[in-house]
Parts: sequence; structure tokens; C-alpha cells
Amino acid sequence: MRRTRPHHDTSAVLGAILIGLLLTPVGTVATAQEISPRDILERVDANMTVRTARTKAQMTITYRDGDVRNMLYEAWAEGTDRSFLEFTAPARDAGSRFLRRGDAMWIFLPRVGKSVRIQGHMLRQGIMGSDFSYGDASENPSMVEDYDATIESEVDLAGRPTYVLYLTAKRDDLSYQHRRIWIDSERWIPLKEELFAKSGKLLKTATFGDVRQVGRRWYPFAIEMNNELQTDTRTTLQILEMDFNVNVPQEVFTVSYLESGF
Amino acid sequence: MSRTRRRIPLARLAWRNAQRNTRRTLLTVSAITVAVAALTFAQSYVTGILGNFLDTYARTETGHIRIRADGYTERERFMPLHMNVKGLSDLLPAIRGNPGVVEAIPRIRTAVLVDGAGSNRPGMLLGIDLEREEGYLNPSEMLLEGRIPRAGHPEVMVGSELAEKLGVSVGDTVILLGQTAYRSMGGARLEVTALSEMGMAYFDATFLVAPLDQVQQMTYLDDASTEILLFTSRPESADSLARAIATDLALANGQELEVVSWKDQAQMFRVLDAVKPIFGFILGLLLLMAGLIIVNTMLMTIMERTQEFGMQAALGMRRRDIVVLIVAEGIAIGVIGAIAGSALGSAVGIWLEATGIDITAATRGINIPFQGNIYPDWQLSYALIAAVAGVITAGLAALYPAWRAIRNTPAEALRA
Repeated sequence: MRRTRPHHDTSAVLGAILIGLLLTPVGTVATAQEISPRDILERVDANMTVRTARTKAQMTITYRDGDVRNMLYEAWAEGTDRSFLEFTAPARDAGSRFLRRGDAMWIFLPRVGKSVRIQGHMLRQGIMGSDFSYGDASENPSMVEDYDATIESEVDLAGRPTYVLYLTAKRDDLSYQHRRIWIDSERWIPLKEELFAKSGKLLKTATFGDVRQVGRRWYPFAIEMNNELQTDTRTTLQILEMDFNVNVPQEVFTVSYLESGF
Repeated sequence: MSRTRRRIPLARLAWRNAQRNTRRTLLTVSAITVAVAALTFAQSYVTGILGNFLDTYARTETGHIRIRADGYTERERFMPLHMNVKGLSDLLPAIRGNPGVVEAIPRIRTAVLVDGAGSNRPGMLLGIDLEREEGYLNPSEMLLEGRIPRAGHPEVMVGSELAEKLGVSVGDTVILLGQTAYRSMGGARLEVTALSEMGMAYFDATFLVAPLDQVQQMTYLDDASTEILLFTSRPESADSLARAIATDLALANGQELEVVSWKDQAQMFRVLDAVKPIFGFILGLLLLMAGLIIVNTMLMTIMERTQEFGMQAALGMRRRDIVVLIVAEGIAIGVIGAIAGSALGSAVGIWLEATGIDITAATRGINIPFQGNIYPDWQLSYALIAAVAGVITAGLAALYPAWRAIRNTPAEALRA
């Protein structure tokens, strides 16, 4: 199996979309008494990582003025390094495709007819006019490797026992220098996450829901993201269908496929 | 104290005294000349700068009146395309029908990601009515190379510096990705038909100009734009015109719109208001320096003439007359300097008003709306103000030497 970096950088809805929500058939539910922050993160990573997956999902963006945008997409993912996504609805957005390979990202719009590689410092820019940066979509840090973690407390969140972990980045180039994550201490999935800038300012809050049992382990099928700075948006991601460990044709992750499509 | 004593011909005496040491007088005169010339020119220059600012700002940013969707200003930094002005085909003729309106131009302003020659940069896309913009945004004057994009064609004019950073030139293709009116992602593939240079650093490094219809297609703004700029022949009364237009539109149009006079878009005016006192301070310093030179040279004169003043006092000349005599001498010098200075300052101002001062190099990298040339705006009042200020300064500067001259009793002065 190819090296898979732990995923669940669910901080970025778009990241989640692009990665296509990944699962790995690992998953023994641990109930150790003495547990280190690192153990917790490794279990979460293991739980949330997948070899391959095919996903259909709905993304809903709700604006402060009451406007709501619904979009459907289909995505392929392999490990955490490769993903392909195509919007299928509404008609206006249908055929818009995204490809991610490692840190590289391409966008294809049918109207343009040619793919664009998003690169360099542009990855740090917001996708024009939206809440998400390209970096959100392509940056995929390993929580175990890229962050120092401490257990802040153990609390109940929405009726579930959780560990509250506080993460501090070891590198300067990560979008979120601090993260606070509420982790279900029986199912080893995140239930809530707060993402902070270096200054300590709260940037985004993610809430995980619709937790379902898939095989032997649990997985959140819905994520709600609140952008705390640009307070007029709330984005919900609802997985409609998910197939794990499917065979993904390798040409899916190529630019020529991006420009010709499914 | 009879009245006959008052008939001392002080002015003539002062004039004659001023001629005693020609070289020293010329030095004093030249100090005033330089100060008055600088003052005359500086006023013209500052007015020219401010005029350039306001004119450029109006043509590129605000118009004399700007109409946008209600609430747009508050959310301006996000450039929300879903907040737009709809029904242009009805709205524009109606607005142009107002006799106070010289021109009404729709523009779409939107942030884009520009991809060209394999690299990306952030850019600002302006969708404009290329023909109507002549005299306003002035696409043909911005043209550095190539030809202006044509309406109805997928073409774009790229800021010279942006083009250089992207590595594209005329004939190449750029891809633009941005927002749509439905808040989704839109894009366009446009041929670069022209490079532009506006002399405004931020403009040249970020802006792309494309036909309005192309940007409307890309952003799904059918028959809509993000703003309409209005220009009037009487910019100073834009406020009342804005109110009238707002009333008209409220009656005729169902949309909630912001109709704002450029005078209410206070950002730039605040900057200017902050700058003005600084100029005033600098000019004040200049006058102070000229005044100090006068104090200095006249003190020398007075020292040399101490015995003379003692004699005059002993002969019955009153202290007040001596003060008036010395101040009159200062004023005489001031008048000569003021005439020479205002003439010199006016000459330079008028000359540069015709030729312009190219400051393109100096404004590179500055993020202000400013076009390459400054044309000083000379006015007769500036020369007069400067001349009066010069004469007053000279007169005031003579007060101290005058006081020194009458400090001693006639006997002390004669013994000195």
C-alpha cells in the first residue's frame, strides 16, 4: 500500500471534498486508560484514512442573507495524495472539475476548456470570493507529524465522551497554527474542531455529524463548517454515497482526464 | 509735539536706506524672492497634485456619482458579484436622460485568478463599455502595445507589469478564474490583444480590462454590472444630482441601490485633508527662514547705524518714527522680493503647467490612484497670496532690528 498521510484535515471543506473522504480498513476500537495525545491522533488518523474511495456528496452553502447554494459532486480518492472531483449539479456548475496530486492542484471549467494549475503562493490565496483557500484544499498536514498535541480535558459533547486536544504546529507554513479538536474517545473520530491563526484568532469551526458505523468503525457523514472571519457563510457537506476500496483507474488522476472527464 | 514733525518722508528715507548697501539688500531681497517663488509654485503644484488625485480617482474608481447595489459598500472588500445593478438596458437610458448627467457607464469589477504561461497571479478584472469609456477610464490612452479588445470578442488588455510577471505578451492567451453572480466559480479564456500602461503602479500590476459583454458572460451578470459610474459637467454639485437620481431611481426601479456622490466617498478626501496641513507647515517654515535672513541682515544694518539713530533721536525724531522707518525699509525690500518671487514662481508654474512633470518613476510601487504626470495648476491668487505673505514676513522680520535700534537712549547711541 502506498504511503498514506493521515487525512482528516477536515478543517477545509474543500479539502474534504477533494480528498473524497478517505477510510482505511484499520479500526480496532481501543479503550486504553493511559493514553497519550499521540496515541489518540494515530487512532483518529487510522480511522479516517482510506486506501481508495468513491463518493457522491452534496455541498450546501448558506449565506447570511438567506441565499442557499446546493451542489452535488462525485469524487475519486486514493490515499490522501490523489483525488479527483467533478460537480454534477446545478447545471451551471456541472462539469467543473478539480484534480489534486500531492501539493499540486488543477482546476478545469467547461467554459474555459483548459485546465489551470494553481500553484505557489496562489495556494494561500482565497479562491476568489470564497471562504476557502486553495491551500485548504491541497494542504494536508499529518496531525501526528506536523503538530505537537496536549490533552486539555475530557468532556461530554452532544452526549459523547471526548478528549479535547490542543494542537500547535511544528512548522510555520501550515494554514492553521493551532487547532482544538474534540475526539470521541470510544469511536476515535473528531466531533468538533476549532482552527486558529498564529495570533490565536479563531478562523473556522467545524462540526461533525451523521456518524455512521461502516464495517467495524465509525465515520462522520456530515461536516458543517463555519467561517468565523467572514461570518456570512456556513457550509455543510453531506455524503450521499460512499464506496470504499474500489478500483480506481489510474488515468483518473491525470490532467488529460481532467480535461476530458468521466 | 507739533504735527510738522510727522512729515518726515519715511518711505523715501526707507527706500534710500535700502540702497545704501546694495549687495546686502540684494541678499535680503533674494531670500524673499526665493521664499515667495517657492510659495507661488508650491501652491500651484499642490493644487495640481490634488487635481490629479481627484480626477484620476473619479475616472478610475468613483465617477462623480457611483450607483451600486444597496449594501455593496459595506461588503466591498469581498467584491460580492451577487450584489449587482440589474436591468442595465432600462436603467442606463433613463439615467442618461437626466440633463445633469454627461455620461453613465456600467462597469464590472471582480477579483480573478489570472493564469498565463503556466503561472498564476491575482488580478482585478474590469469589464467595461470600451467605447463609452473614452475620456473616462481612457482605454486608448492606456494602450502601450497591441490593439484595444473589441466588444463581442474574447479579448483582454493586460496591465504591463502584470503581463510581465505572468510572462505573457500580445497574442498569448490567459485564463481567468473568478466568482459568478451565483457565487459559484466562473472562468474565461481570453486572447491578450493589448498591454496597458496607466502610470498608476497598482493598476499596471493587477488590472485587466475586457469588454463588458465578455465579463458579463463569465460572471453570469446578464444585463447587469457591479456599478454604474455617472459623470457630470458640474462635479462640485454632484451631491444634489446624486439625491435627485436616487429619487428618480427609487420611483422607477424596484432595486435597492446606493447612489453616492464622490464627495461622500470620503476616503480620498480624508487623505487630502491630512496632507494639506503638512504642506502648510513646510511653506510656513520656508517663510520663517526667509524672515530670519531678513532679521539677520537688517540687524547688521542697524548695528552699523547705531550712531545715526542716536543722532536722529537727539535731533528729535521719535522712537516710533525710527521703528516705522526700519519696518518700512523691510517692507520695501519685501515688496521687491515679492514682485520678483511671484513672477519667478508664476513663470515656473505656468511653464510646467504646459509641459507637465513626469513622476511615473516616483509613483511606481505606490498604491494610490495617480497618473504619471503632474500638471501644476497656477492661479493668479497664488502669486498674490505668496507676495502678500512675503511682504508681511519682511515687515514682521524688521520689527526686531527696529526694537534693537530704539533700545538705547540717544546719548548711549551716540557714544557707541
